[in-house]
Amino acid sequence: MEEYPEEWRSPPVTLVALVGCPEHHHSITTHFASLQPPINTLALPDFSKINLLLSSSDNNNNNKESIPGGILKRDWLLKHRFKVPAVVAALFSYHQLSADPSQWLDVCSQIENLKSLLRPKNIKLLLLVVQSSKDDNSISEDRMIALQKRAELDPKHVLILSLDLDDSFQLQQSLDRVSTSFAELATAYYRDEGRRIKTRLEKKAFGSVEFNVRYCFKVAVYAEFGRDWVEAVRFYEEAYRILREMIGTSTRLPATQRLVEIKTVAELLHFKIATLMLHSGKVIEAVTWFRQHNTAYKRLVGAPEAIFLHWEWMSKQFLVFAELLETSSGAIQSSSTLVFGNADRPLTEWEFYPAYYYQLAAHYMKEKRLALELSITMSDFGDEADSSVDSVVPSVYIGQFARLLEHDNSIATQPLTDEEYIRYAVAEGKRFQDSFEIVALLKKSYELFSNLNAQRMASLCGLQMAREYFSVGNFCDAKQIFDTVATLYRKEGWVTFLWEVLGYLRECSRKQAAIKDFIEYSLEMAALPVASETSTQSFISKECGPAGPASLHQRESIHKEIFGLVTGEIGSAPIEEYDDLKLTGDNPIHLEIDLVSPLRLVLLASVAFHHQIIKPGVATSVTFSLLSQLPLDVEIDQIEVQFNQSNCNFIIINPQKPPLPALSKDQQGFRVEHAASLVLTTNKWLRLTYAVKSECSGKLECLSVTAKVGPHLTIGCRAESPASMDDLPLWKFEDRVDTFPTKDRALAFYGQKAAQVEEADPQVDLILGASGPALVGECFSVPVSVVSRGHAVHSGELKINLVDVRGGGLFSPRETEAASMDSHHVELLGISGSEGEDESQLGFDKIKKIQQSFGLVSVPSMKDGESWSCKLEIKWHRPKPVMLFVSLGYSPHTGELTSQKVHVHKNLQIEGKTPVLISQHFMHPFRQNPLLLSRINPGLDSDQLASLPLNETSILVVCAKNCCGVPLQIESMSIEKNDDGIEKSCSLQDGAQDWLPALLVPGEDFKKVFVLKPEVKSSKLRLGMVDLKWRRSSGLGGQSCSTAPEDSVVTKHELPDVNVELSPIIVSFECPPYAVLGDPFTYLIKIRNQTQLLQEVKFSLADTQSSVLSGSHNDTTFVLPKSERILSYKTVPLASGLQQLPKVSLTSVRYSAGFQPSDVSSTVFVFPSKPHFKIANPGEEKIKSQLAE
Amino acid sequence: MIVCVAVVGHQNNPLYIQSFTEADDALKLHHIVHCSLDVIDERVNNPRKSGPMLNETFLGLLYPTENYKVYGYLTNTKVKFILVTTDLDVRDADVRNFFRRFHAAYVDAVSNPFHVPGKKITSRTFAERVSNIVKSFGFSSG
Repeated sequence: MEEYPEEWRSPPVTLVALVGCPEHHHSITTHFASLQPPINTLALPDFSKINLLLSSSDNNNNNKESIPGGILKRDWLLKHRFKVPAVVAALFSYHQLSADPSQWLDVCSQIENLKSLLRPKNIKLLLLVVQSSKDDNSISEDRMIALQKRAELDPKHVLILSLDLDDSFQLQQSLDRVSTSFAELATAYYRDEGRRIKTRLEKKAFGSVEFNVRYCFKVAVYAEFGRDWVEAVRFYEEAYRILREMIGTSTRLPATQRLVEIKTVAELLHFKIATLMLHSGKVIEAVTWFRQHNTAYKRLVGAPEAIFLHWEWMSKQFLVFAELLETSSGAIQSSSTLVFGNADRPLTEWEFYPAYYYQLAAHYMKEKRLALELSITMSDFGDEADSSVDSVVPSVYIGQFARLLEHDNSIATQPLTDEEYIRYAVAEGKRFQDSFEIVALLKKSYELFSNLNAQRMASLCGLQMAREYFSVGNFCDAKQIFDTVATLYRKEGWVTFLWEVLGYLRECSRKQAAIKDFIEYSLEMAALPVASETSTQSFISKECGPAGPASLHQRESIHKEIFGLVTGEIGSAPIEEYDDLKLTGDNPIHLEIDLVSPLRLVLLASVAFHHQIIKPGVATSVTFSLLSQLPLDVEIDQIEVQFNQSNCNFIIINPQKPPLPALSKDQQGFRVEHAASLVLTTNKWLRLTYAVKSECSGKLECLSVTAKVGPHLTIGCRAESPASMDDLPLWKFEDRVDTFPTKDRALAFYGQKAAQVEEADPQVDLILGASGPALVGECFSVPVSVVSRGHAVHSGELKINLVDVRGGGLFSPRETEAASMDSHHVELLGISGSEGEDESQLGFDKIKKIQQSFGLVSVPSMKDGESWSCKLEIKWHRPKPVMLFVSLGYSPHTGELTSQKVHVHKNLQIEGKTPVLISQHFMHPFRQNPLLLSRINPGLDSDQLASLPLNETSILVVCAKNCCGVPLQIESMSIEKNDDGIEKSCSLQDGAQDWLPALLVPGEDFKKVFVLKPEVKSSKLRLGMVDLKWRRSSGLGGQSCSTAPEDSVVTKHELPDVNVELSPIIVSFECPPYAVLGDPFTYLIKIRNQTQLLQEVKFSLADTQSSVLSGSHNDTTFVLPKSERILSYKTVPLASGLQQLPKVSLTSVRYSAGFQPSDVSSTVFVFPSKPHFKIANPGEEKIKSQLAE
Repeated sequence: MIVCVAVVGHQNNPLYIQSFTEADDALKLHHIVHCSLDVIDERVNNPRKSGPMLNETFLGLLYPTENYKVYGYLTNTKVKFILVTTDLDVRDADVRNFFRRFHAAYVDAVSNPFHVPGKKITSRTFAERVSNIVKSFGFSSG
């Protein structure tokens, strides 16, 4: 598009001229240039110059030809842009008009002169009177009218221009006024001109068809001046149509040049039309128009020797239209919803993309190059032709060329013959580097298609571009693009394209002497799925690139060539081609094939372990399967198999090949195996099964299989598991027999390239010795012993974990830290070392970490047969079953930090039980009953508490019951007053002598009596804790008891609070300890009033059959304050044995409280006759009386 | 005249491609077929643009090259059929008819129990049938 001159590319610009008053020209010119649309200005300082300007064009106008020399003149548009003004403005200053008559006469003659010059050309005249602020007097009306008349102008075309430089606003206004007049007049001029030529057209007043085209063109241009785009397009199209018709009829020029001229004009007309259409947003019309243009001229090839001109022209059409589309791409965006074409002429998406046109431009450019090359070879133009074409220049008509002749300082032109012209065109064509042009076009197209995400189109452009680079010898760029393109073809499996691209790549590498690339590309080509059947699709070698047509034969020859090169015996291929490509020992080539490499076709290694879990030191079978799609057999010299455990690596040697001189350094020490044959046949698995033995536990994985072919080539192939192996790329689309990498089908589906090596079996016993339940509170110890039975133990570690059996929280350290001490119900206290081993011997480096539910302790080194033990001390705070996990990790060999550890795990569930259940109850002294008011009238909160009388002796009985299955030894029971206040508030003392230590068998109770005397009145008196000291009974439990006998445990029990209150009345009975049948005894009932009040007490006595008594049976008596009333009865027992005394019931009137002593307190034993006692121990009596209770 | 027909699989890989031309432009035709996949992709990915063709298997004219017209067809299983013709004046109905018959032939070919889905179609019967359909297309439109 840039090739076109500016006047063609942009819409025409109005031209006006200014004459006179040159000092004001600048401001007017700049103002006009800034207008929209702009106006070009010709500034002529004085009136003599206008003669020159207009007379020159006069000459042109005069020699009107009847037979035109061409269709359009080259400079016509330029002329209207820079030479022929539409309006001429004569500027006169105020002084010229208002001064003396001689000056006025001058003005008049100048106007006359102008008129005579302008009239024949219809150029419009405008008069400007320049007035400045200094001119205070305005011009007289008469002068202005005289001026108008003189110039024969409309009053509105005589303007006063106030160039007051101080007032920019006024200046602007005045300039605007002037420019409007200019624009009006200019429009009128162009309209008139257009109309004039249009009438000529209508009258068909043109001598030849060339004039017809020219007139149409001019009308269109004048319409453009007037911004009438529709009219412009109409006449451009008309011109284009007539031009197209000219092709068959015109005989003015020799055939070739005639066609060239018509095409050149058609191109320009088309360009104008397309530009106007696109600018007005009519994209569909523009595309349709272009298509018509294309079809109209496509077949106008012209003379055979000048075909290249046609292709060049075609290419240019596409390029220009592509550029036009690209520059107006905004319009296309908005038309994305447009419906493409109609039923007759469907348009496709691609036709709206500039990329499509760039691509075709490149295509035609290639055609041009081909035709030009043909023309050059066909023609016998020698070098002398070059001098003859020097004088050929473009002639005055568009699309024509002429020879320039110099005759005595005058220059003349001479028309050319077709032969001369073609010679000139060929010479011109030779000057251009078409390749660059083609590459540039393709690159543009490539980028645009890539942006559109049309990757296949882009690839095609890339491929063509790379071919172009290849042909000019730019192998570096070519290779880069070919590589990109090959990726897409590989992905989509277009083998024929891939073959072609790889052929180019192979040649590029050969030219660049990149031997590794050369081998890679060659191998890939040889392994491509090109079957012999495709030969029916004959591609001839011209379009197949350097590799030739894709065929099995070709693959085989590439295969032979490469393996000839690799093994050093170059067979059929000529040696000189490989001068740069030599494999030597200095630069051995290693190809790496991974899971995504295109070379997987060449070599695929599948590795399957026969067993997923293997024992250390035990050999297991591994099958290595190799597959190649190369067309011929490949003999491998040596295979090296690499594992992640390097001591498992080994080498397989082909016995048919002479042994390689020496194994490389890193291969020394590898196991060497021999295979029957290492020949890879096309699409046939080579299966090799070998035993592998690993000493280390963990994962054993096969990493790669490296095949060595020839002395200097190694192909490293990543091992793949048959279970997760991808299909072979490209071959997966082929209809071929799928075979399995292993004979065993199951292995082919599930085989893995890795196996798990187990730990060695532990040969150490871990014994947890505890049995039976653990008791809450005791320090329960679990003996753990490690006994070696075949393994030595080194750097052993014992891990202990306590886990709640019921699935509660694991006693993790974090949890126990957060919670309070009470919340860990079971706690690991410590680990005591083995018997007979001093703590200091453990040393400081030994680990010993103890947390509440986790422990870690190191085990000393042991030889085979030795043993070590320790004890875990665990304390239960609550009865809870707990799982104890103990694991021992050790390594059986010394000094190997990296060596594998062996682990032994043991677990044991331990129940935690409560040893004793402690209960208590309170009693009053025998036959003494205080009246406790809280008992009579129980309050809300006092009902739970036991009530005790103040300052009276009470008896506390504490009972401990063995509720676990283990016999216990009770060592002591005491009440610990943990409160200072208790000392004063009550006195507490052991009521009886200890019978301790006492054995408590399961289910048995142990009771102890305490005497209690509260001294402070309190509704909630704390009594303290019962401390029960016990231990497991060593006598009966025997071995099952694991607690050390000296470890006694204290179980604490909090005594309940008691209510202490003053008892108002205390009733006590007194009678002898025993009675003798028939012997009277006195039975006293003492009622003590402890209050300051007089107490009225009613009493009644019931008779019994076993006794007779004297005294009142029913009465009401008064007890004085702080005194005692004694009721005395003389009683005679009538029956022997344990007899009921007469029952008394008392009622305190004041408290409305009745009282009846219990049966136990009102019984007495009656002997038949007086007994005889042998008193040995006064304590015995005490016990007897206790037992009697 | 039909110069090339192709069946293209899910991964845009050629399943069957056959050109019917004496000239040596088979590779060029293959490229045309390959490039037309871009248009199919665009039509399938932007169904809004193609509007009324939303549920139709026939994709219509894909793109014009200098000398050829390319038509496309997309089966329900997303297998693409592509037709390249040198006739610049082709009736849509003819192309639709061609594709219908071609589709039937394809369905018969892949229904063969020995055919593995996703692999190239190597059936000779299919090739013969296709060549008959191609020939008859020439006659009916002729």
